[in-house]
Amino acid sequence: MELVRADSLQSLDGGVFIHGGTEVVPLLRDGILEAETLVDVRDVVPRGVDGNRIGAGTTLAELEVDPQIPEALREACRLAASPQLRNMGSIGGNLLQATRCWYWRLKYPCRLHGGDRCHAREGEHREHAVFANDFCASAHPSDVAAALLALGARLRTTQRELPLQDLYRLPDEGNRDVVTLAPGELILDLELPPVQASVYLKAMDRKRWSFPQVGVAAARTDGEIRFGLAGVAPIPWLLTAPEALDAATPLPRTAWKVEVARALVRRAVAAVGAA
Amino acid sequence: MARLIRTEKEVEGRFEEVWLVVEEDPLQQWPEGPLSVVGRPAVRQDGPQRVRGEARFTADVQLPGMLHTAILRSPHAHARVKRIDLSPALALPGVRAALGPGEAQGLADEAGFAGEPVAAVAAETYGQARAALRAIDVEWEVLEVVLDPQEAVERGLLTGEPTRYERGDFERALAEAEVVVESTYRTSVVLHNSLETHQAVCQWIGDTLEVHISTQYIWGVRDALAEKLGIPGDKVRVVCEYMGGGFGAKNDPGEYTFVAAELAKRTGRPVRCALTRREENVGAGNRNATIQKLTVGARSDGTLVALGGEFVNAIGWSGWSAPTDGPMQTLYACDNVRTVRYGAKINTPPMKAFRAPGYVEGTFGLECLLDELAAKLELDPLELRRRNHADSNDGKPYSSKNLLACYELAQKHWDRRADVRARSGTTWKHGVGMASQIWFGGGGPPSYAWTRVTSDGRVTVVTAMQDIGTGTRTAMAQIAAEELGVPLERVQVVLGDTARGPYATLSAGSSTTPSIGPAVRAAAADVKRQLIEIAAQRHHLEERVLDIRDGIVVSADGNLSQPLEELVGLLEDAQILGKGGRGPNPTGMSVLTFGIQVVEVAVDVETGEVRVERVAAAHDVGRIVNPLGARSQVEGGIVQGIGHTLSEQRLLDPETGRVLTSTLDAYRMPTIADLPEIVCEFVDRPDEHLTNLGAKGLGEPPIVPTAAAIANAIRDATGADVHELPISREELLRALREAQERAREGAKEHVGAR
Repeated sequence: MELVRADSLQSLDGGVFIHGGTEVVPLLRDGILEAETLVDVRDVVPRGVDGNRIGAGTTLAELEVDPQIPEALREACRLAASPQLRNMGSIGGNLLQATRCWYWRLKYPCRLHGGDRCHAREGEHREHAVFANDFCASAHPSDVAAALLALGARLRTTQRELPLQDLYRLPDEGNRDVVTLAPGELILDLELPPVQASVYLKAMDRKRWSFPQVGVAAARTDGEIRFGLAGVAPIPWLLTAPEALDAATPLPRTAWKVEVARALVRRAVAAVGAA
Repeated sequence: MARLIRTEKEVEGRFEEVWLVVEEDPLQQWPEGPLSVVGRPAVRQDGPQRVRGEARFTADVQLPGMLHTAILRSPHAHARVKRIDLSPALALPGVRAALGPGEAQGLADEAGFAGEPVAAVAAETYGQARAALRAIDVEWEVLEVVLDPQEAVERGLLTGEPTRYERGDFERALAEAEVVVESTYRTSVVLHNSLETHQAVCQWIGDTLEVHISTQYIWGVRDALAEKLGIPGDKVRVVCEYMGGGFGAKNDPGEYTFVAAELAKRTGRPVRCALTRREENVGAGNRNATIQKLTVGARSDGTLVALGGEFVNAIGWSGWSAPTDGPMQTLYACDNVRTVRYGAKINTPPMKAFRAPGYVEGTFGLECLLDELAAKLELDPLELRRRNHADSNDGKPYSSKNLLACYELAQKHWDRRADVRARSGTTWKHGVGMASQIWFGGGGPPSYAWTRVTSDGRVTVVTAMQDIGTGTRTAMAQIAAEELGVPLERVQVVLGDTARGPYATLSAGSSTTPSIGPAVRAAAADVKRQLIEIAAQRHHLEERVLDIRDGIVVSADGNLSQPLEELVGLLEDAQILGKGGRGPNPTGMSVLTFGIQVVEVAVDVETGEVRVERVAAAHDVGRIVNPLGARSQVEGGIVQGIGHTLSEQRLLDPETGRVLTSTLDAYRMPTIADLPEIVCEFVDRPDEHLTNLGAKGLGEPPIVPTAAAIANAIRDATGADVHELPISREELLRALREAQERAREGAKEHVGAR
């Protein structure tokens, strides 16, 4: 395996992008991700916060203390991973992190790996999805993505601009990807529209260093509250209204997650103020 | 004079009759309370080495030309190796040797769990060895898999005959009971997760096998290797200077040691075999799951009249059936007790002893049951325990028991109930719970120590024991310093090498201090006697008027005050040598440890989150040698107990039997942020019948009551009866729902009764 350091966006040509390495390195080590060439993009991806614009190379550690950043995102960063990981991990990379589904991580021939069944549905799934879980019951682990969904973030990549929800897609028979990035496409920065109030609440197995069992972000803009949920669907889940939780389709052992989500959504509404 | 005796020996609750030669031990116990060194907090003598990275763990051992091993493990939960071809692996770069099933102890041709070792490769680097595993060609014959322990019991798939116990007449007593509570409790598999994974480095020096290993029992490793390899014990040297924890999982040599020894023999090179964290969490042992169907019958004043339990230990493919039924048989005075315990043999990874095996699980069930009874009787749970205090162990006297004193120490923490509950709001409910603790911890013979005083006045204690990480070196140095009358910093303890020092027992079953401590004291007394004899002759004084205090030889009239190094300094190269052995345990007595923990929790009734806010522990383990080290044991036990109770759970795929949570992101141990305030108190009263020290062990007792005390605090806060470990949000929300329904039903019944 070769590691090259990209010096300009124009020179990018194939390979697997790596920034902080907190996601890519473990996946490589486990043989889930394969790469002949690793392209270190730390010199070409913008880093830092400028008003409502966040460079995709900004670390979670930098964001969690930046007063320009809305509360929901700061809190999502603060509650993610460990200080060591937050010092390394970039927000762009965080949006692309893979599920913690143990079947996927253990390389069971599941649907996300191109196979023909979801092992979690009939197997051990106490941490799995309660929405859109028919084809694949994996849960998306990104706290940050949930916060950015609620905040209505837009992304700029090397090829296009898009709302964050368009970065994600549900896997299906024809395409097992959960993101819409084209080969070689790189997230460059994010833009946050102004919000009046926002919050991120996270249920965990322990107080630190835990992926979300359920994460609920809420942001209020004028008359509207948007919710972004982590850990409830194969992709970060946009909830248009609290009642949308009624549409959840929990598995036998994940009904409790809906209950937790209801409580957190209720608290999030109270925290950001009435719409 | 050497005395030959027949005595009962206990390790982790398993008893056997053994022949022993014991030395008469003429020493009187020291008076109660803190002495000059013993009973006073001492920082770890090896602390600086540890923090500077100078302490050499097995993981640090690097030998010239050392090869590295990777182990091929069964992907199937039950399968036979029909055919295996190692030759493609042997042809790969760096590979030096490979072993198949039957070529080393622990490499099986029938794998009984997913992850059981079947073959091994040694190569120049670990990466090469691992890569070579993929080249090994195996044809498997897949066999029937049983993963459900209940099914195994029904089909008679057991590790041995069921263990049955009865005293009195359970059926009749239950029929006559005024109140009966029945509940089923389940505990899940948890993993030891020692900092240092299981590992060994083996090399042959001539016909002698030298083994560096992370182990709780260097002599056990020596003897097992000698037996399996068919060589004399003195041709095996086992070294463990420092180890990164064991918790019961490192009591014997695993396959990794036999594999390394065999590969070392075949290659003529030193060989390391070290498990990765993931292998550790699959194949290196676990605390097995249990199912406990429990019944209690009582009179309306709370007197227990009948206790019954059916216990299923979901052992796995190997392991032993730990005494889950022990607490029910021994914790309370109850004339009618009936228990049966099954060990289910299923196709899951092996059980290994884990910090008070059986009693942790059994105490969770029993102590939750007792609180359900207390709730039904509207009795104070602590009062219920007091009323059923046992004055003997089924007729056998205790060597010492100060459980009521523990309750007394705990009373002030228990009295916080009203204040704690008053903090409750609509979402966060606060409550206090308690659980009582019983466990072994008396240790036993044989164990030996030598002491050496050199002419510079320094003292070396030599004993071939191991320090599992609990601070044994420091405690032993304290005991020697106290007996000899020298400052602690003058005593050095040399341990961890079967070739350098006399036999000492294993560091398991809370037995290290009570087993080896008395031998160290006897050895120090032996050398002190000689020093006094020398001083008497040098100064023309009677021995009986001489003593050594704080490193000074003194006479009773105060006329003599000579530094010890000055006295022995006359002797140049001479060394004053002492030896000591561990005497027998008291005949006909039960040597047990006791305690109580009082836990305060906060429960978010909407999200099922539990926060353990405060744990107050009061334990009775005889004399406390090092209060600082003792406190660490209590803290560690409680932390591990909190993990077991709230967040840790080893999950298996119900279809393939593979472990799904072998990594530390999926297997969640508590972090420092999850820890409560811990208050730690001891009765600290020497057991007058137990050895010259009166000290019992403390490694295990503190983890025993934690889970039940947390569950009982949750009930106090919310009314919910949790019946499963871990108390996940799912389990807690279920229990809360059930409690609400019960309350509604109760309200209806109440209305109906009018």
